[in-house]
Amino acid sequence: MTEEALENKMQIKNLSMYYTDFKAIEDVTLDVPARRITALIGPSGCGKSTLVRCLNRMNDLIEGVRTEGQVELDGENIYQPGFDTIGLRRRVGMVFQRPNPFPKSIYENVAYGPKLVGIKDKEKLDFIVEDSLKKAALWHEVKTILRESGQNLSGGQQQRLCIARVIAVQPEVILFDEPCSAIDPVATQLIEDLMAELKENFTMVIVTHNMQQAARVSDFTAFMLVQEQGEPGRLIEYGDTNTMFTNPTDERTERYITGRFG
Amino acid sequence: MKGKGARADKAATAVFWALGLITIVILAFIIIEILARGLLTAINPKFLFGKPEAMKAGGGIFPMVVSSLYLAALTILISLPIAIGAAIYMSEYAKKGRLSNFIRFCLDSLATLPSIVFGLFGLALFVVYFRWSYCLLAGAFTLAILNLPILLRSTEEAIKLVPNTYREASMCLGASKWTTIRQVVIPTALPGIMTSTILPIGRIMGESAAIVYTTGLFIRNIPVSPFDTAAPLAGYIWYAQSEALVPDYRQIVNGGAALLLIIVFAIYFLARWAGNRYQQTKLLGPKMK
Amino acid sequence: MSTGAPEAAVKTRAWAGAFTDRENYVKLVMLTCASVAILAIILIFLFIFRESLPAIRDLGVRNLFFSTDWRPNVSDPTAGNYGMLTFIWGTLLTTFGAMLLSVPLGIGAAVFIDQVAPDRMARVVRRGIELLAGIPSVVIGWFGLILLVPAIARATGTSGYGVAAASLVLVVMALPTITTLSAETLKSLPIELKEASVAMGATRWQTIYKVLLPSAREGLLIAVILGMGRAIGETMAVQMVIGNARAFALSPFARTSTLTTRIVTDTGEASGIFRSALFAQALVLLLIAMVLIILIRVISRKREPA
Repeated sequence: MTEEALENKMQIKNLSMYYTDFKAIEDVTLDVPARRITALIGPSGCGKSTLVRCLNRMNDLIEGVRTEGQVELDGENIYQPGFDTIGLRRRVGMVFQRPNPFPKSIYENVAYGPKLVGIKDKEKLDFIVEDSLKKAALWHEVKTILRESGQNLSGGQQQRLCIARVIAVQPEVILFDEPCSAIDPVATQLIEDLMAELKENFTMVIVTHNMQQAARVSDFTAFMLVQEQGEPGRLIEYGDTNTMFTNPTDERTERYITGRFG
Repeated sequence: MKGKGARADKAATAVFWALGLITIVILAFIIIEILARGLLTAINPKFLFGKPEAMKAGGGIFPMVVSSLYLAALTILISLPIAIGAAIYMSEYAKKGRLSNFIRFCLDSLATLPSIVFGLFGLALFVVYFRWSYCLLAGAFTLAILNLPILLRSTEEAIKLVPNTYREASMCLGASKWTTIRQVVIPTALPGIMTSTILPIGRIMGESAAIVYTTGLFIRNIPVSPFDTAAPLAGYIWYAQSEALVPDYRQIVNGGAALLLIIVFAIYFLARWAGNRYQQTKLLGPKMK
Repeated sequence: MSTGAPEAAVKTRAWAGAFTDRENYVKLVMLTCASVAILAIILIFLFIFRESLPAIRDLGVRNLFFSTDWRPNVSDPTAGNYGMLTFIWGTLLTTFGAMLLSVPLGIGAAVFIDQVAPDRMARVVRRGIELLAGIPSVVIGWFGLILLVPAIARATGTSGYGVAAASLVLVVMALPTITTLSAETLKSLPIELKEASVAMGATRWQTIYKVLLPSAREGLLIAVILGMGRAIGETMAVQMVIGNARAFALSPFARTSTLTTRIVTDTGEASGIFRSALFAQALVLLLIAMVLIILIRVISRKREPA
């Protein structure tokens, strides 16, 4: 790993977010390096999911949400007035906690995104669907049942279908919001392997409550914490995953990591 | 003391059993009485498919049955798109505030107004003011307004059953809000919406006060155009017994009432069956094998 | 009214954006669909009021609303007299009679469904109530006409038609509304309430009587009001058994009319001011319904903070 060659795909600068009056996260500054996996860890309710949803402005969909500070994608602030949020979400895709394939066929699930940008050509769509399913390591399991409902698959397969669905849009960044919390260990293993492969082409951010998972898959780790009940979540420490797990500088990080490990 | 409490409890339990059972007895009594008097007439093809008589005995009610079905179809055709649109607005767009509060208030009011008020309104607006005269379309528009609250509520419930995570996933793939609604929300909710349309059809077929002065009361020929005068079954039953112009009106009303009861109950059970089926696939998922 | 200006500003922006942006355009279409409810209420008010205006103007409020003198003249409407007090009284009387029976019966059945009955039995009663609600009013009216009216005639020596028969028919119409809504209210009560009472050694009846029914008071009241609304508005079933006389009813077995039955009996042949007087009766029904709705709003607002 050549540290010097790192460029930052996204930069979070002094970001705070409010749900009407309640401050959910405060003053987070964090870099997301390109073609690496950045993990967000911390106890539940620390604002890590909220933070990751700020990166493609999914929080805009909730009434009463307000943000301060900046999030830059390739140097451009995505919170500037008039910024194209639909275009943003095509560039920054998301995989959710629970697998959520649409009640459509497997094929239609993957083709959904490409169709949105106006791709109608059957051959082109076929190619994208096959390619995306291959990249999501699902092709061999589903190639004969493409016309069946995506909801008939097992939980782990459904999650890989959701990953294929995101890949089909060819985003630059993929956000994972606790992608393995609803599936079994074997399926989790498959998804972790998949993430390692996708690293070549995509920048990824993963929110996880499972520290072994963060240690296994990520290159960089950020630790978030709510000090006291009712306070906003803050970024405590950020760094190279190895260093974070073996030699954290902040005492709170160490306590969290060892507490969970021990 | 304890004995008294226990005795009162026993007595109260018996009273509640009685009250609960009375409702069933009333229902059973009505059903048996109506069917006993009219079932044989209702299923007699000469009556069911016959042409009505204005003055002499032996008339049938086929044009009335057709009127009822025609009216129900037109009403749904008019009100369903509006109900779906309004339900989408209320569940996907409306923010809590005065406007949505006021819309709810209007819907509640529509749900509480007596149907005869709708009938007079339809008479004043469609029949007289628009000069449509008594016709199916006037009745259908009147009933569309009458049924809007109930149809909207059930449609809204079906839309609310669509998990929010579908919407999020679609938005994350770069879909706009409307695209998400059109491609994901509506297709997912559609079986539920269709299921919840069945029950109001029964209500439309049973409604009489709102249509006697909008669609018309008596016809001899099957209505073809929406602007034709019609005589839905429920309205005709009332007309036949109140005017008593034909000598065998008792038999006609007996048969008509039995037929109407059968139709409405059939629709009810269809709605229940479809609702259960929909819920099973919706909640348990198709994975259950 | 003070917030009118910013709201208007928002509206203008929505309109201006509507033609440039597809998303806003779609939202506007959906809003239009939702506004049909507002439009319908306004149109109903407007037309019922417009049509009743001649009668209000020519007869005066007193002669129209507060007189019992109803002597319509079909061939020369202006020669008749159109006081509707008799029918307002008829509506009140039949509704009161119906409530006397349907409130205890309805709430009792709701308690039975929610608290007393075994699951299977509760389901049977609930389905039965739903079916009862689905029976068309002409069918119930016909049932009343061929069964209740002769029975009352035999028992009392009167014609059988009248207030009592109408009230009995209305019990069937109001019962499903009261039962369904009461059962919903009882079901929504927190289970802890019942457990706390039972844990203190109360019997089932004491729990129902002292804890559950008082806690459900507002919801039960709403159920009764909506049941009343059903009874006041019911037309065909009542028309078939009430006798359709124009006399002021003083006995439960007197033949009379209600607002709804007068409208449906006479609209076919009425014209001019006669017809307008019938629309004025619909206006009264409309106002009664609005009062009930507002009453319900007030009650449910009171319920929420608690």
